Amino acid sequence: MNKKTAPEIFGLSLNTILLFIFAFSTTYPFWHVIMYSISDSRAAMSGGLFFIPRDPTLLAYRMLFKTKLIFIVYRNTIIRTVAGTGLSVLLSSLTAYPLSLARFKGRSFFSLMIFFTMLFSGGMIPTYLVVKNLGLLNSLWALILPGAMSAYNMFILRNFFQSIPNSLEESALLDGANPLQVLFRIILPLSAPALAAIAMFYGVGNWNSYLDGVLYINDANKQILQVYLRTMLGTAGAKGVLGDISGNLSDASSLTEETMKMVTITVSVIPVLIVYPFLQKYYTKGILIGSVKG
Amino acid sequence: MKRPPPSLLARKTSKDRLIGLYRYMRKDYMLYLMILPGIAYILIFKYWPMYGISIAFRDFSIFKGYADAPWVGLRNFVTLFGKAGFIRALKNNIIISVLKLIMGFPFPIILSLMINELSNMKYKKLIQTSVILPNFVSWVVINGLLYAILSPSSGAIQGLLAAFGYDGKFPNLMTDKSNFRMVIVLSHIWKGAGMGTIVYLAAIAGIDREQYEAAAIDGAGRLSQMWHITLASLRSTIVILLIFRVGEMMYAGFDQIFAISNPLVISVADIIDTYVYTIGLEQRNFMLATAAGLFQSFIGLMLVLITNAIANRIEPDSSLMNFAKRK
Repeated sequence: MNKKTAPEIFGLSLNTILLFIFAFSTTYPFWHVIMYSISDSRAAMSGGLFFIPRDPTLLAYRMLFKTKLIFIVYRNTIIRTVAGTGLSVLLSSLTAYPLSLARFKGRSFFSLMIFFTMLFSGGMIPTYLVVKNLGLLNSLWALILPGAMSAYNMFILRNFFQSIPNSLEESALLDGANPLQVLFRIILPLSAPALAAIAMFYGVGNWNSYLDGVLYINDANKQILQVYLRTMLGTAGAKGVLGDISGNLSDASSLTEETMKMVTITVSVIPVLIVYPFLQKYYTKGILIGSVKG
Repeated sequence: MKRPPPSLLARKTSKDRLIGLYRYMRKDYMLYLMILPGIAYILIFKYWPMYGISIAFRDFSIFKGYADAPWVGLRNFVTLFGKAGFIRALKNNIIISVLKLIMGFPFPIILSLMINELSNMKYKKLIQTSVILPNFVSWVVINGLLYAILSPSSGAIQGLLAAFGYDGKFPNLMTDKSNFRMVIVLSHIWKGAGMGTIVYLAAIAGIDREQYEAAAIDGAGRLSQMWHITLASLRSTIVILLIFRVGEMMYAGFDQIFAISNPLVISVADIIDTYVYTIGLEQRNFMLATAAGLFQSFIGLMLVLITNAIANRIEPDSSLMNFAKRK
């Protein structure tokens, strides 16, 4: 490399510093919440930066896990995420495969039909009425079915399938395989990166989705984690949980609403942080597979 | 199979075509079985609601259903535009969208250019990994993070100020009408910045290194290289992404605003989606809510069609339509 001038060195250092400040701003809040959640409520009350916990204690976690509801909403969220993602990937693959074949009659009709839903939608109320008419309100199906296939993800997959050489498929067909076997034995194994990417899109979407919980679920036993967290972040929510707990346990009286909120945030964000390295890798790839440049 | 007489070959009737299609479908029936669930899904959850849009043009009651709902033309829209709440939502929608576009669109570009200037690969990786993090959590979680940082009682900033001897109160930005739109816009930028850099950084990675070397020999400094090579190479990507952003202008961020707003700031944060939710699902006025939603989708559709046509002119391969139609 050629020599850098003094202003260049200054500029590059400033650039590095600014980037680190921004990166700090995107990561510190998570750390803050986790450290706050394992700090003693009274010590934490004054706020400020939390690089390490103050008087560490797991009291708030013990209290939160004393309530039955947290397990219920957690279980529901896991079910909708696993079942929803599995169903979505399957549905998208089954739809994308015929649309990727030049010989499939009706492919432009079906493609256009699906594409149009990317441009225009019935909107919140008509969709709500459909879910209601199907009798899905207050069931986990209401969280899984309405978003079961994203047109965008389906097209990403179809474009990927199209990039696989036809000769592989043709030779399998000559050997007497039917299209379903071709899809599952040849196409899907070759599409691992694209499948991983859309599974990530669907999985993250399912885990983080909360509007459908608000719209379609009224029954606390069917509710999901994000909606539970949303209630908890409202003043009434944290007070309610604290009230429930302190009815049973005397040492809960030292807990503040703030601590309970931080604990609930931590509990809902930890799974995402655990899978984060995978997420980042496949998500990035997926974005590029589907990016405007193709 | 016997060959049909030539006179028939010349003139394929529609009946023949149907028979041909039938033969084809019988041969490849499994493909149709495979696509069936997806098409059923699209029909039920995407097209059935589109039929439901007719509520916007009817005198509809949930108890009577569609059959007993007489057509009333544009009456619901006239009522809607007479509502101060809707006008307010429309105004907020436009203001928030425009602010997000003007302030938010350049940010990932600047961030990508900055990240690209890092020569230390470890730093580069660390920064990229860090800035994408908020993209993977829900807006409800972000709301919690905002609370943890901004809360005037136990938040990070308040405590930090107090530690430096400031004894005043840090204003509660989350309940302050004059600042809340900035909270919306800045948290939107903060959450999406890292994800936004992916496409730009990939485009930058594709730039021919020789261009920089040649420029360096000609005496171009780093800034001038950034301007004349990096940014110039990104131009078409930037234009296309900008056009798509404009196409999404009717959607000001339902997920975000529903999660982070509260009654104290609703007058500056109520957008069309949140308005639809309030009058539709809370006040149960399905007709007005559907009309408001249709107004939004319709303008949204127009914007997408226009912006796509423009994108297609600039870069023939780039439009959404092409993404769906490819090959």
